[in-house]
Amino acid sequence: MTAEVAPGEVEKLFGRLVQEAEAGAYHVNPDMSNTMPLIEGLITNTRRYGYRLCPCRLTGGSRQADLDIVCPCDYRDADLDEYDTCF
Amino acid sequence: MPDLESLEQVEGSKQNHDLVLFALSTCGWCKKARAFLGDHDIAYRFVYVDLLEGDELDEVFSEVKLLNPQRTFPTLVIDDEDVVIGFNDSTYTEKLL
Repeated sequence: MTAEVAPGEVEKLFGRLVQEAEAGAYHVNPDMSNTMPLIEGLITNTRRYGYRLCPCRLTGGSRQADLDIVCPCDYRDADLDEYDTCF
Repeated sequence: MPDLESLEQVEGSKQNHDLVLFALSTCGWCKKARAFLGDHDIAYRFVYVDLLEGDELDEVFSEVKLLNPQRTFPTLVIDDEDVVIGFNDSTYTEKLL
């Protein structure tokens, strides 16, 4: 079982994601009820797989197989167009 | 749908549909989907696919690929025929309430 995610870890990754997003003219979702679980999921997956696998997509079993679903994933823009947020 | 042994039953007073929720333990949208079902006291079966291993994972993964080739979660199957991908409050309301 993966260890619980500490608040400090969440804040640290949140800060990094904000920086990365703004640098690419994107914005982190201001709705924290979406953003915080996403960040916790990213931390869990980074521990589990070694890279930021999207928390809502299933691993294909290797980093190579998962290249399209590492956050920010290849489907981000399509999701933003359709849902105004990533899925 | 095959009789998947890894599905866990969640009790609820509303049993109008046979619901199977394929979810990931890491996915916030899956948490919202489960919260919706819980808040409305709807009975369903579910599995966290990312916590499965070996044959169980292969079996469930094959099923999800058939239902939803993009393998995004949550994937909700209603009465073995209608597949709802992702979570949207109004879609769940329309389909289930």
